[in-house]
Amino acid sequence: MILLQVIVGGLLLGAVYALLSSGLTLIWGMMNFINFAHGEFVMIGMYVAFVIVVALGVGPGIFGLAAAIGLFILGVAIYFALIRAVMRGPMLAQILSTFGLALLLRYTAFWIFTPNFRTLPQTSLTGTINLGGILLNVAQLAAGLVAAALTLALHLLLTRTAIGSQLLAVAEDRQAAMLMGIRPDRMQALAWGLSAASAGIAGALMAISYPFSPAVGETFALTAFVVVTLGGFGSVPGALLAGLLVGLIQALSAYYFGPVYKDVIVYGLFVALLWLRPQGLLGTA
Amino acid sequence: MRWAWIALALALLAYPLVFTSPFYQDAGALVLLAAISASAWNVVGGYAGQISVGHAMFYGAGAYLPLLLHQHWHLPPILGVPLAIAVSLALALVVGFPTFRLQGHYFSMATLAVAELIRIVVSNWELLGAAIGLQGPAVSKNWWDLTFRSAVPYYYIFLAVLALLLYVTWHMQESRLGYYLRAIRSGERAARSLGVPVRRYKLFALMLSATFTSLAGSLYAFKTGFVDPESGLGILVSVQMIIIAALGGTGTLLGPLLGAVILVPLQTTTNTLFGGGGAGLTFIVYGGIIVLIARFEPGGLLELWHRLTAPRTRRAPAPRHAA
Amino acid sequence: MLLSAEKVTKRFAGFTAVAEADLMVEEGEIVGLIGPNGAGKSTFFNCVAGDLTPTSGRIRFAGVDVTHAPAEAHARLGIGRTFQVPATFEEMTILDNVMVGAYLRHHGWRAARAKALQVLEMTGLKDQAELRAKSLGTPGRKRLEIARVLASEPRLMLLDEALAGLTPSEIQRAIALVRDIHKLGITIVIVEHIMEVILTLAQRVLVFNQGRVIASGKPQEVIDDPAVIEAYLGRGHGRAARQP
Repeated sequence: MILLQVIVGGLLLGAVYALLSSGLTLIWGMMNFINFAHGEFVMIGMYVAFVIVVALGVGPGIFGLAAAIGLFILGVAIYFALIRAVMRGPMLAQILSTFGLALLLRYTAFWIFTPNFRTLPQTSLTGTINLGGILLNVAQLAAGLVAAALTLALHLLLTRTAIGSQLLAVAEDRQAAMLMGIRPDRMQALAWGLSAASAGIAGALMAISYPFSPAVGETFALTAFVVVTLGGFGSVPGALLAGLLVGLIQALSAYYFGPVYKDVIVYGLFVALLWLRPQGLLGTA
Repeated sequence: MRWAWIALALALLAYPLVFTSPFYQDAGALVLLAAISASAWNVVGGYAGQISVGHAMFYGAGAYLPLLLHQHWHLPPILGVPLAIAVSLALALVVGFPTFRLQGHYFSMATLAVAELIRIVVSNWELLGAAIGLQGPAVSKNWWDLTFRSAVPYYYIFLAVLALLLYVTWHMQESRLGYYLRAIRSGERAARSLGVPVRRYKLFALMLSATFTSLAGSLYAFKTGFVDPESGLGILVSVQMIIIAALGGTGTLLGPLLGAVILVPLQTTTNTLFGGGGAGLTFIVYGGIIVLIARFEPGGLLELWHRLTAPRTRRAPAPRHAA
Repeated sequence: MLLSAEKVTKRFAGFTAVAEADLMVEEGEIVGLIGPNGAGKSTFFNCVAGDLTPTSGRIRFAGVDVTHAPAEAHARLGIGRTFQVPATFEEMTILDNVMVGAYLRHHGWRAARAKALQVLEMTGLKDQAELRAKSLGTPGRKRLEIARVLASEPRLMLLDEALAGLTPSEIQRAIALVRDIHKLGITIVIVEHIMEVILTLAQRVLVFNQGRVIASGKPQEVIDDPAVIEAYLGRGHGRAARQP
């Protein structure tokens, strides 16, 4: 029974990981670019939620939305201020740009909020419910379901809407997209906004149940890297599947080996993946 | 240009004799140590263009193993140096072998993941001191303890190692290895088409880099007599190497030394001025500097200098065909 | 037979770029590959160069099966190539660019440099040896790519639209250079859109359309072939060409 609880809990957190990573894989697929500051977007989402709740005392719906909007704007701003320029430059500049940005965001957060772990005050999502013998934390259940829904929504946005097909067109072939009248610049900025927003919402969702500090960004970035590699280059459905799997593996690792090693196992999995199947679950060699 | 090199060498040799206060001598040793690890990073990050953000794993191996031998088995710490290099080479293969046939990002992500993995494991492993860390000899009993009370012997040891590393780098630069690495950095696909065995050369560069980074870590352990997960394996160890190399100029011989000369005193100053909070401010500034370098001058200060002082080159005229 | 590509097929996730293409090249020939855009010429080219691995089929060079070999191995065996969009090492000097090519056969700095200078002399780039590659315009870059691959002493040179975008006088100069390279005994396969170049240089021509080789023969024959005209200009024209 406990094991089943661990499994379900892992899958729910995994859904949040999927949401968190879907933005990263979108950018990777579109621009062949890995955002090393992606974890910090999640962290900022957590702190936006924190600030909003402390200042206005509102519920999860509002601060979730605030995180989404705030991070969307941040993502677009970063695209225009930094990313667009470094895309034209050498690989060194591309990797260092977001790596430096991660440091900048992380240590600014340290400075403003101190390294202490914080939690959000009680929200409406409290208590546990009993689903067929499994005790589930309402907040975690809600977070997992919302995250899964949003990830699917992102996938549908990309594959079923006009704007989504424009985004995919730019990912597929920039030149051809330009010839069709699509503005790659705008689409890429939009992708950055969506990427940051999804990371921010994931952060806000996690903040409801878990304590957070400015340091967590690095761990989320690495988790996202693993999910994105496992799920395959540019694939949002892949990220969903991989996210669930990573959440599950992490929960089982914590259960069997202790909480300290939950991340170690995931990182070890990453290395094994690179050796054996770097194209991920759904990719082709 | 020969005189410039001689002047530099003389300045470096004379420094501790001119600035005799322990504070300045210590600062000088720290600058040289930072220059060594940044120059080591530069071999794979600057010359080969493969950006490692987890080089702390090699540095940490170099720092931990000598102190481990001393603390647990009472062996001369110096025996830990080659052992640490062997471990670092193994790590280099584990990280580089699978990722060097893939796009560059994979290598960078892998270095971050492995460095972090090692840090967590070490933080929880009693044998390696867990969160507390390991200590070296408190007093010097034998020459191989390399425990000196003054910073001056360290200064000269570090200078010798830096000189060796720069010589090796210079030699590599002018050899086939150097040309191939630059080609790989400039355009892998084109390099392949000219017969460059890309993966093999990237691995050479990484292994050379790992060796000297490990050595730098060992030198750090000898000097401070102490290491813990933060000071040996933390992300800031990796960051410092990168920013020093990038500020001075990646892919250049003296860029890392230039970066060290500028940043290490700066860091010491902000730490003294702002106290504990200063450390936080320093890394905000570091992050900002890295972003600015990436955005405006990826070649660092040396490239900036080159651009400002080089004559304006006209577009080359159409080549005449030799009849 | 220096190069034999048999029934080379390349498929990308449901899309067949090249379908059972054959190419046999004897040592010392100059062969042209033509065809409309998207016909699969470049993909086929990349398979021969080793950049892509064919989905099926076989490629043999100088008796060695290179179908699954990586690009580096192709180069070491003696297949050199240029790129449709010049891929020069921008931040390196022109001399250094060519030295990278020379280092394939000459391991020491002095020997590689001497070879590179010799090649720069032949291609008329010697005066610009110390300039960075990025200071060149497109024609210069194309010439530099040719020099660079020439320094690697290939037996077979694959030129991918090396003359596209050049002015008429530059084209004449480039044609002369290709002839000089051929005189050195190097076999050449050239992908080109400019008919004048194909007619002047190629001894034999293959025509690609929609991934298949639809015609091959002497340049003049191929150009008059109705199937070829149809491929380029459309159905009606082909029919018109067939009228006696």
